[in-house]
Amino acid sequence: MIELQGIKKIYRMGSQSLEALRGVSLQVKKGEFISIMGPSGSGKSTLMNIIGCLDTPTAGDYTLDSDRVAGLSFDQLAAVRNRKIGFVFQNFNLLPYATAWENVELPMLFNGKNARRRKERVTQLLNAVGLYDWRGHRPTELSGGQQQRIALARALANDPPILLADEPTGNLDSRSGEEIMDILTELWKGGRTIVMVTHNDHISARSQRIVRLFDGLVLP
Amino acid sequence: MNLTLPRFFWNEYRKRRKKAALITFALFWGTLSILLLLAFGQGMSAQFRISFSGLGQTLIMITGGQTSLSFEGLPKGRQIRVYREDIAYLRERIPEILVIAPESYNNWPASAGGKEVNRGVHGTTAEFALLRSQVPQMGGRFINADDVSQGRKVAFLGWSVARDLFGPADPVGKQIVLNRVPFTVIGVLKKKLQDSMYQGPDADQIYLPFSSFSMIDNQRYIDRLHIQPREAGQSKLVEERVRVLLGRKYRFDPADRYALSVWNTIEDSKEALAIFKGIEIFLGLIGALTLLIGAVGVTNLMYALAKERTKEIGVKLAIGARRRVIVQQFILETMFIFAKGTFWGFITAFNLVHLIRLVPVNYESFGIEAYLLRPVFSLQIFVVYVIILGVLVFLSGIFPALRASRSNPIESLRYE
Repeated sequence: MIELQGIKKIYRMGSQSLEALRGVSLQVKKGEFISIMGPSGSGKSTLMNIIGCLDTPTAGDYTLDSDRVAGLSFDQLAAVRNRKIGFVFQNFNLLPYATAWENVELPMLFNGKNARRRKERVTQLLNAVGLYDWRGHRPTELSGGQQQRIALARALANDPPILLADEPTGNLDSRSGEEIMDILTELWKGGRTIVMVTHNDHISARSQRIVRLFDGLVLP
Repeated sequence: MNLTLPRFFWNEYRKRRKKAALITFALFWGTLSILLLLAFGQGMSAQFRISFSGLGQTLIMITGGQTSLSFEGLPKGRQIRVYREDIAYLRERIPEILVIAPESYNNWPASAGGKEVNRGVHGTTAEFALLRSQVPQMGGRFINADDVSQGRKVAFLGWSVARDLFGPADPVGKQIVLNRVPFTVIGVLKKKLQDSMYQGPDADQIYLPFSSFSMIDNQRYIDRLHIQPREAGQSKLVEERVRVLLGRKYRFDPADRYALSVWNTIEDSKEALAIFKGIEIFLGLIGALTLLIGAVGVTNLMYALAKERTKEIGVKLAIGARRRVIVQQFILETMFIFAKGTFWGFITAFNLVHLIRLVPVNYESFGIEAYLLRPVFSLQIFVVYVIILGVLVFLSGIFPALRASRSNPIESLRYE
């Protein structure tokens, strides 16, 4: 499903350059649940952004769902993000002025699904995360756990095969965190590929495999 | 047509309406002030023109004077007068003269209905009406050629004289006694703005047929000749030829500027026109600068609005919004805000201008209100304004939008 081959990422700031990834190779099979772990500055966020097509590698090959990502245009990358990847962020990143319903609906607005199908899907997803009754509320009116459940529903809107979770429980209390992890585990059992970044051992224990990054390299 | 995205844009705009309120107001205020500024400027300029032509358009007025140069052995300081015969004399010799009319003047008591006032009384001919913008009020007329040839005892009154002697009643057909000779009133001057004059405003004068005037006045020479050239551009030429011809006849140096006193309103009006142009250019410049300041302000606000939305744009890009969607949304929002602010500015300015125009103007005081209370709303100016500001606002919307849509989604997501 995900194949990274010798991925390098170099950030340039003026004359300074920082090598965030120094040749990472990684394979994630379809239906796998992996955790990426590592201390701050080890490059896990950079790796996550590259997997998520939010950023492009300086060197190396990336194949996603048997398509090569290199050479895709900005809008083509946007389309990949829209259909193949669902994002869950540490700080939820919901649109503050939009209701729970509208936040979940958003990804479907960008690929032209018709109103009836959108309505069906949003209803289904909000019921699945148990927040249908909260559909008219704005993010600020919801708890952190509720917000992250809305974010999860949004990530699943276009039924993407891959779910990327960047510290999904980082801003939550342990009970809400557990709830989110339960949902993620269920999704994995339903056949979805999940890549999660965390530095919490307790959380990473839920995954099948742990990939450890250090200083821009995968530890063997 | 798929209306999903437009509906989504509209929905988002409505939720952000309050934040855009400041920009909407800025556009409203800018539109209002520029339109009012230019409306008052245009109105002032137009009123200046009207009042300038209150005395008469393209007019040369010639009065006798005193020589200041000795000529052919004659000493300086001689009195020069213009006589009745000079009218035919000049008309025959200067083909560029379109109309020529005499005017003589005296100050006589005028009485009617038991009231008596002292007013300037003028003897002149029918052509004077055209030369000096003497338009009668409804139901009356100015002196005509028959009045002059038959020496009729008829009088044309300025509106102040009419009011002073007859009150609100219509004086046409009534009797008025001038210098103990009875005259019949045939007309009253229509109110006009007049900013230049020689014996007080026309509102205070009484006009008689030249022949009738001469019968009761014992002055042989005439006080003033009024000449209108065929074309305004010939005024200087006509003036010089009059000096040469009368100089030959009455033996003075044509170069002697004091032998004849000449008031050439065409030459004056060239100056006045330059002043009007100056006023208009000045106001246009102020308008342009205001526009620029307004555009800078709007650009700034738009930019701040875009900046504030950086994170939101990052989120949208992350979940798969194409670049075009982001840009479209910005431009539609910008243009909508622009249309809204401009529309209300236009409505307010239009109504204010027309309300102000309803205030009556007092034609007798020649106060500032005559110039200020007649603003002119110009649709052309509005159209030009909308085009210029529209382009500026469009640019101020598109640059932040392009910047936002090109930004790296990760950086936008990190933005706080």
